[in-house]
Amino acid sequence: MQDHKPEFLRLLEEHKLIIYKICNAYCKNMSDRDDLAQEISYQLWRSYSHFNGSVKFSTWMYRVALNVAITFYRKTVKTGNMIQLTEPADDPEDKKEDTTELEKNIGVLQQFISELKELDKALMILYLEEKKYAEISEILGITETNVATRISRIKDKLKQQFSTINK
Amino acid sequence: MEDTTLMDLWKAQEEKLDRTMQLNLFLLESMQKQKVRSKLNGLARIKASAVILGIAYILLLGLLIYGNQFKNIYFSISIGAILLFNILAVIVYLHHISLIRQVDYSQSITGAQENLSRLQASTFNTRFLFLQTPFYSTWFWSQEMIAGSGIKFWLISVPVGLLLTILAIWLYRNLRPENMHKKWVNRFIRSNPEHRSIIEAQEFLTEIEQFKA
Repeated sequence: MQDHKPEFLRLLEEHKLIIYKICNAYCKNMSDRDDLAQEISYQLWRSYSHFNGSVKFSTWMYRVALNVAITFYRKTVKTGNMIQLTEPADDPEDKKEDTTELEKNIGVLQQFISELKELDKALMILYLEEKKYAEISEILGITETNVATRISRIKDKLKQQFSTINK
Repeated sequence: MEDTTLMDLWKAQEEKLDRTMQLNLFLLESMQKQKVRSKLNGLARIKASAVILGIAYILLLGLLIYGNQFKNIYFSISIGAILLFNILAVIVYLHHISLIRQVDYSQSITGAQENLSRLQASTFNTRFLFLQTPFYSTWFWSQEMIAGSGIKFWLISVPVGLLLTILAIWLYRNLRPENMHKKWVNRFIRSNPEHRSIIEAQEFLTEIEQFKA
């Protein structure tokens, strides 16, 4: 196991954004995010000796990280679903003026994703990460047709949400 | 809204991601020293505690049987039956621990989550322990007691034993995941915080099935 450490650390460093994104999508507060990041890193390290390269490292990493996140989420984070990615403003009124259209839309997207069920959330993250349907199907263990249908349904809901807000 | 806009928004939020999470070498060293407490290890620890308590109880029961030297057949049979049920329970718990150790997070999401939820719901597998209940009402029986208490034995001790047998079999047959829709099963499980996770596991299994459909 020790022999694999430098290689594992290099890969972890290279793909760490995956962990950040998943932790931010599944956890509301900073301490939960830290715990989840730790748990994901631990499980990745624990499983690394079984990684045989039959799939891309990122595919394998998404599987482990999402599985851990869903398990963690179901066990600990049952209440509250608003993701806070930015520091809270000192004065909400000042902040409101500075809020750009882009930030507002990012907020809507984050809120929408946070409200999705665990499995749909995983699906949406993979879709937004521009993964091909075949890879999403491989990670989630569902058919490509199912991937396409579900993504289309979720997107419709999201578009509806955006159009309601922007009216 | 176009797909590309959604992707752009997703990329834009990357700038705001919380990147302060600890993913460093020091942490990895800690993990190797098993300082990291995995959530799943917690579940294994609960089961391991049950195994330790179970073994202690088995030893106690074994000592009782040994001490009695089969002088009282009712005592020996009752304690022997309770002993067997508890040996079986310890075996089931050891099996659970081995399943927990084998959990493979690198499986597909639906596959791994199905296995995990089944594992969580597996507490139901020890419901056979209900069947030991009647033996707690017979261990103190003896030939002298039967002969000495006359009709009282047949009017009190035997009906209590029979009632407990019927109740134990009924609970064993009815307290199963398939009956979760029944109010009393639901209420019984919800009354124990440890068992609430079983309901959640069952609900999640249904959700996975729907997701795969």
